[in-house]
Amino acid sequence: MKTKTPLAALAAFTTGILLLAGCGKPTTTTSSETPEATPSAEATPAPNEEEKVLNLFCWTEYVPQSVIDAFTQETGIKVNMQNYESNEEMLQKLLSGGGNYDLIQPSDYMIEAMAKAGYLRPLDKEAIPNLKNIAPEFLDKSFDPGNKYSVPWMAGTVGIVVNTELVKDEIKGYKDVFQEKFKGKIIVLDDARELVSWALASEGIDVNEITPENLQKAREVLADWIPLVAAFDSTSPKDALLKGNVALGVVWNGEGGYILRDDQSGKFKWILPEDGTHLFIDSLAIPNTAKHPKNAELFMNFILRPEINKMIWDEFPYLNPNAEGRKLLTPEQLANAAAFPPDDVVAKMPIFKDIGDQAGAVDEIINELKVQ
Amino acid sequence: MSAVAASLLPKPFLAYVRKIRGPRIQQWAFGIWTVAVFAFLYIPILLLIVFSFNDSRLGLAWEGFTTRWYEQLFRNKVLIGAFKNSMIIATVTTVLSTALGTIGAWLLYRYRFPFQRAIGLLIFVPMVIPEVLMGVSLMVLFSNLLNIPLGYATVIIGHTTFCFPFVLVGVQARLQGIDPFLEEAAMDLGATPIQAFWKVIVPYLMPAIIAGALMSFTLSFDEYIVTVFTSGAGSQTLPLQVYGMARKGLDPQLNALSALFVLGTIILVLFSELIKKRT
Amino acid sequence: MAAVPTAAPVSSHHTRRPGWGAWLFMSPLLLWLLLFVIVPTVMIVVYSFGTKTALGEIRLGFTWENYRKALDWDKLQRLPRDFPDNVRAATAEIVEEESPGSPATWWESTRGLLGGIAKTFNSFLWLKIFLLSIWYAFLTTVICMVVGYPVAYFIGRAPPGARNLLLTLVMIPFWTSFLIRTYAWISLLSRDGLLNGLLMSLRIIPEPLTLMYTPFAVVLGLVYNFLPFMILPIYTSVERLDNAMVEAAYDLGAGPVRAFSQVIIPLTRPGIVAGALLVFVPSIAMFAITTLMGGGKVPTIGEVIQKQFTTARNPPFGSALGTILLLIFIISLWLTRRHREE
Repeated sequence: MKTKTPLAALAAFTTGILLLAGCGKPTTTTSSETPEATPSAEATPAPNEEEKVLNLFCWTEYVPQSVIDAFTQETGIKVNMQNYESNEEMLQKLLSGGGNYDLIQPSDYMIEAMAKAGYLRPLDKEAIPNLKNIAPEFLDKSFDPGNKYSVPWMAGTVGIVVNTELVKDEIKGYKDVFQEKFKGKIIVLDDARELVSWALASEGIDVNEITPENLQKAREVLADWIPLVAAFDSTSPKDALLKGNVALGVVWNGEGGYILRDDQSGKFKWILPEDGTHLFIDSLAIPNTAKHPKNAELFMNFILRPEINKMIWDEFPYLNPNAEGRKLLTPEQLANAAAFPPDDVVAKMPIFKDIGDQAGAVDEIINELKVQ
Repeated sequence: MSAVAASLLPKPFLAYVRKIRGPRIQQWAFGIWTVAVFAFLYIPILLLIVFSFNDSRLGLAWEGFTTRWYEQLFRNKVLIGAFKNSMIIATVTTVLSTALGTIGAWLLYRYRFPFQRAIGLLIFVPMVIPEVLMGVSLMVLFSNLLNIPLGYATVIIGHTTFCFPFVLVGVQARLQGIDPFLEEAAMDLGATPIQAFWKVIVPYLMPAIIAGALMSFTLSFDEYIVTVFTSGAGSQTLPLQVYGMARKGLDPQLNALSALFVLGTIILVLFSELIKKRT
Repeated sequence: MAAVPTAAPVSSHHTRRPGWGAWLFMSPLLLWLLLFVIVPTVMIVVYSFGTKTALGEIRLGFTWENYRKALDWDKLQRLPRDFPDNVRAATAEIVEEESPGSPATWWESTRGLLGGIAKTFNSFLWLKIFLLSIWYAFLTTVICMVVGYPVAYFIGRAPPGARNLLLTLVMIPFWTSFLIRTYAWISLLSRDGLLNGLLMSLRIIPEPLTLMYTPFAVVLGLVYNFLPFMILPIYTSVERLDNAMVEAAYDLGAGPVRAFSQVIIPLTRPGIVAGALLVFVPSIAMFAITTLMGGGKVPTIGEVIQKQFTTARNPPFGSALGTILLLIFIISLWLTRRHREE
């Protein structure tokens, strides 16, 4: 790090100066500095024995630094981590071919879509024996039958957080949240697919049946709901709840997990909507352009160890798919209602299918209703 | 810190109030207004400094004094690395965009190039274009057409592209109404055009150049979207890190980092003023 | 946004045809524009005519579909029919409410016309988003101008030694992270926040005010973040203001109001225009503040375009919206400039 930083900056700076001075042809000037700016190790293709590098492309702050340090210490493999904020952002960058990534962290529907388009590399299961630690209800899901391409990282769902100081009513499902009397007191995820799926669930429709007729029904429901919402926030809705700006939230279960863990007053309650909700599984997968797939598999196997899994969960109180890792958690941690919904409920939760072309239509419904 | 501030700040302030032209009411009104605006600008900063000593992870209410966020910050390799990257990128971006913007503004003012009006309009494009479009198109340009691996160089190029128009527009505003004979006078006295530019024009433009450099640094230091698409492994900047951390709830370590940086800069600036005064 | 500071009409005797030296120094800028402005812009325009796969990958091609969608083309075509219908419906509604059975009075038909216009306007999704973004940006620009001008003037007339110090002090708060600053504002404005706590302990208000997630919070956030971009260019204009001119105005008996309206403000106009541009243009496509402080209830054009590249998976459509935004700007800049030069 220390040696690389000034060198790369210097290289960039020289380019700038060269450009400024106006000497040299544009394209040659710019590309001639490439070798200096690249960390030298990654540029050369891997020989039979893979070099000790892993280019990890993952969600920001989703892979604790302590896990990476432990991996590097044990294997001697240097991890170059780069982050993204959404599945689609990852895809855009991967497809542009600029990154040379060995390991990515897509969610369920994205794995389905990427596998279908042939962007993922099948896993060598022999290299990942620890896959057996994962509870069976998180394996062999419809988005990746037989886990041909992916290994679960963390799972989760969506539910309702209630500030019982401000809301005395009993809240059971979506319809109890979206009531006229709670207008301006509700925070929801800023995610069109989620909003539509809640509306569908409240009407008793399968959340994966995204047909024009069902979208019309969802639209009618949402037309009543959206004017009641105070804020749309996917990043950190817990802040608004904790600061009392809103009284009700329909949010990721990890957000609920934080609130239940960190709030001492005990005024917050977590509720799984009775209308039904869905399961998401964030996973690890290897793009077919990976230069160090062996190292990637080594990393997959590493994070599936129970003690490493616990390190991850301690930072991210989502639904832990690792059965062996769960055994290491304390009873209080396991009692976190938001993080761990009952197993039988989880087993029944549907997983979002990739909706491809409909994504635009779903997004448009929300836009239209927001500006009404 | 406070001693330095106390010895420095009121003096220029009072001196200024005495010097200002026009009726006294206007002097006072503008002075009070300026103080109020400065208060407005610094309210969140004071707050985040206070919260950096708060013994509560989520920073909701005051739960006692602690310095543990600072201790954690000094051990946090990732955050410090991101801060370093941001500093490097913002500094190089500032130098490049100030040079490009100043020279560009002067030449466009001084000479009549073919397609002058088109060039003038083109300069606005990076300002107008939504960041995501710029980020994505630059990413494709670097990866597919120019074959530059994503990293420091690409981030700096991206940032400079949307920063230099800010310098250019500011300098152009200052150039309007410049004495047209300023340069000619210098050249009559035997200066070459380059000398005339350096010795006469640049000093005249200096306030606008400084303002432009400050804007460039600020814009680059805080840029998120263009960085997302143009950065590679190892060029993670502070805003990228902060946006990711927001998901876990913003850590007071970030407050500590911002507090140190802001206080450090203020001390540095005041100190350099002090030295200037002494000499 | 009346005028643009570039390429001012200057007396032609001192502008020259560029020699090889001027070309040499100009070439870095031209090169930069070519490589990193023209090429990416052309790419976006090309994308905007393309199609996409289900995964959101761009496929180059030629279709007007994205523009048709952005302009709500179907609705635009039906406009001659829909608009009278809307007016008739709105008028009928008013008549029904106020004087059922009798013909519409002129007052009722006027309100019906306005109602019809509103209803027609409401049916255009993207156009509405464009206009709402422009409205917020305009508001921000005006407030920044009013708030920032006296500050810029104060700094510009300060003793030379203090100017750079004050200018840097204006900028330093913005060397923290945007998100941290915004969260600081949120903890100030929250229901359980400091401002409400203060007002309640002083017994000014009986119960907490709702400040977050309101248009007020959005405008506050925008003004806070863009104020320096107004102050800095105005300062550079004030700084070179001729003292003699200002003194002369006062010596001739002008009060502060007349001195400002007739002498000082006209003289600092280039700075004001530059400042307006630097604030207005970026705040149109701003989105993070509207999400964090306003609750993301009104999508801005920046946010909408952003989403086309992520969750909505329609980059060509995002490119089309971006191209339209670009065209609006370029055309209005070009027109104002030509107007000024004539």
